[in-house]
Amino acid sequence: LASLYYDGFIRIDPKTPKDPNRDYFIMGKGHACLALYPILLDLGFISKERYFEYGKNGSTLGGQLDVTIPGVEYNTGSLGHALGICAGIAKAAQMDGRDSRAIALIGDAECDEGAIWEAIMYAAQQNLNNLVCIIDRNRLSVTQVIESEVLFGDFEAKMNLFQWDCHVIDGHNYNEIFEAFDKATVANRPTMILANTIKGKGVSFMENNVKWHHTMPSENEIKIAREELRITSDNI
Amino acid sequence: MNLDQVDIRDAFFDQLYLRGSENENIVVLSADMDAFSLRKFSKDFPDQYINVGVSEQNMINIAAGLALSGKTVFCYSIASFATLRCYEQIKVNLCSLNLPVAIIGAGAGFSFGYDGPTHHGLQDLSSMRLLPEMSILELSSNELAQKAVDFSIDNEGPIYIRLDKGPFPEWKESEISFEKGFRILKPLNQINLISNGFMTRTTLDVAKRLTSNGIDCGVIDLFRVKPPPDKLYEEIICKSKKIITIEESCKTGGLGTCLSELVAQTENSCQLQVIGTPDRQFIEYGHRGWFHKKYGLDEMGIFDAIINNI
Repeated sequence: LASLYYDGFIRIDPKTPKDPNRDYFIMGKGHACLALYPILLDLGFISKERYFEYGKNGSTLGGQLDVTIPGVEYNTGSLGHALGICAGIAKAAQMDGRDSRAIALIGDAECDEGAIWEAIMYAAQQNLNNLVCIIDRNRLSVTQVIESEVLFGDFEAKMNLFQWDCHVIDGHNYNEIFEAFDKATVANRPTMILANTIKGKGVSFMENNVKWHHTMPSENEIKIAREELRITSDNI
Repeated sequence: MNLDQVDIRDAFFDQLYLRGSENENIVVLSADMDAFSLRKFSKDFPDQYINVGVSEQNMINIAAGLALSGKTVFCYSIASFATLRCYEQIKVNLCSLNLPVAIIGAGAGFSFGYDGPTHHGLQDLSSMRLLPEMSILELSSNELAQKAVDFSIDNEGPIYIRLDKGPFPEWKESEISFEKGFRILKPLNQINLISNGFMTRTTLDVAKRLTSNGIDCGVIDLFRVKPPPDKLYEEIICKSKKIITIEESCKTGGLGTCLSELVAQTENSCQLQVIGTPDRQFIEYGHRGWFHKKYGLDEMGIFDAIINNI
C-alpha cells in the first residue's frame, strides 16, 4: 500500500478524488482498512477528526471501506467482487480513451471465490492491459494456513496460460514491487502480481500466526511489538 | 411496423437501439442471451455491446465497474439467472452503490416451461423486492416497454425489468406514467383486480367474465412494483372492499405480498385474495399455457378461484 500510494503508481489527487482520469484502486480485502486509513490521513483524503473516530459508536470509519471516504471507490466486506468491478472500470476507460488504470488488491484466501476466475477470463478476452491485480499471498485465511499448492503452485505459468502477465515477488521488497509495477505500466495484457507476504511481519509473536487475523493486542503486547518495530513515542 | 404487432422484446430493444445511437455511454451486457433486435444493437454499436458469456456474476461486476465510470448499463439474461445467480453482486455492487444499471430478465413465469425449475421465472420479483435500492417494473404492453427504456435511462439507481415475449398490444386511452406507477384499465369498483405483465390481459378477460356473471370489478395494471406507488394506497386500497392480486410468480414475496403490506395498514376492512403460484419448485415440463391451466392461472382457473371466495 505504501508503494502504491507514495511511489506514484496510483495516480489520484486528494483534491480531486473523482477526476475521471484518475487511477481506480479497489482494495477487495477491505478488512485490511486499518493499513489504509493512516495513508488516507497522511495524504489528506480524510481529516484527523474523522481518522480518530475509528472504533467509536456512530463512527464514519469502520472495519470495512465505503464510498463515503474520499478516494474509496467501493463498499467492501464481501469477497470476490473487486477484480470483476475493476475489469469493468478498465473496460470503461478503454471505451472512453482515458488512460486510467484499475488496480485490485485481493487476498489469497479470497481467490476461492469463483467470480474472480470469471473476471480473469473476461479481462484476458477483452485485453484489459490497464488492469492490475495484486494478490496478498500471506498464506493465512481467517481460520487456517493455506498449505495447498493446487492454486498458487507454478502460478506464473498458470496465469500465462490465462493470457495474463504475472510477476511473483517478495511483497516486502520495495525493489521487486517497483519492478513489477513498472512492467505492469507497459504491459500489453492484464497484469497479475503475486506478492508473497508475511502476515504480522516484524512482530515476532504475530508473524504467520492465524490468531492475529483478528485479535486485540494487550498493553504489554503493544509495548513488545513497538520495540520490535523500533517505534518510539516520538515517531508514532 | 405497427408497434402493437411487434414482439415486446423488440419494442424494448428497438427503443434501446434508438437511445444507444444518440448516447455512446449506453452499454448493453448480455450473458450469452439473444434477442432479434438486440443483434442489430450489437452489430451497429459493437463498442457499446459486450457478451460476457455464461457468467452472470461477472456481468453484474462488469456493469458495476462501467457504471462507476459513468456508463448507463443494461444487463440482459434469463430472469431466474439474472437475479438469483448473482444476487449478492446485485445487492452489494449495484444496490449499495446505487448505480444506474438496468437488469432485464427474459422468461417471465413459465415462459421456459420445458426447461424445468432452473429456468422458471417465479422468484425473480420477490427476490429483487428484498433489495432496498432496487426499482422493479413488470411490463404489460409494447408501449410500456418502449417507455420503460427511457425511464431506466433517466433512473438514477438500479432497476429490474421483467420482459416477456410475443406481441403485447396497447389498450386504447390508457395513460402511462412511471411516476404514478399504475394505470386503471377498467373503472374501479368495490372489488378490484390488480395485476401486471403477461397476466394483465388474462385479468381483463376474467373481469369481463365476472361482469357477465353479475360481478363488476375494476382492473389495475401495477407496472411499477417497487417502490410501490404512493397513490396506490389512497386511490385504490382505501377505496376497495376487496382486492384480488393476480401474478405469474410465487405467492411468497411477489405482487400479492406487496399489496398485503399496504392492505395491512388500512383501517377499513379491505380484504385481500392472492392468486399466484404455490411456494414450491415445479419439476415437470410443459407449455406455459399448460402450466397456467394446471395451476389455476388461466382465465377459468382465476375466475373459479374468485367466485369460490366471494
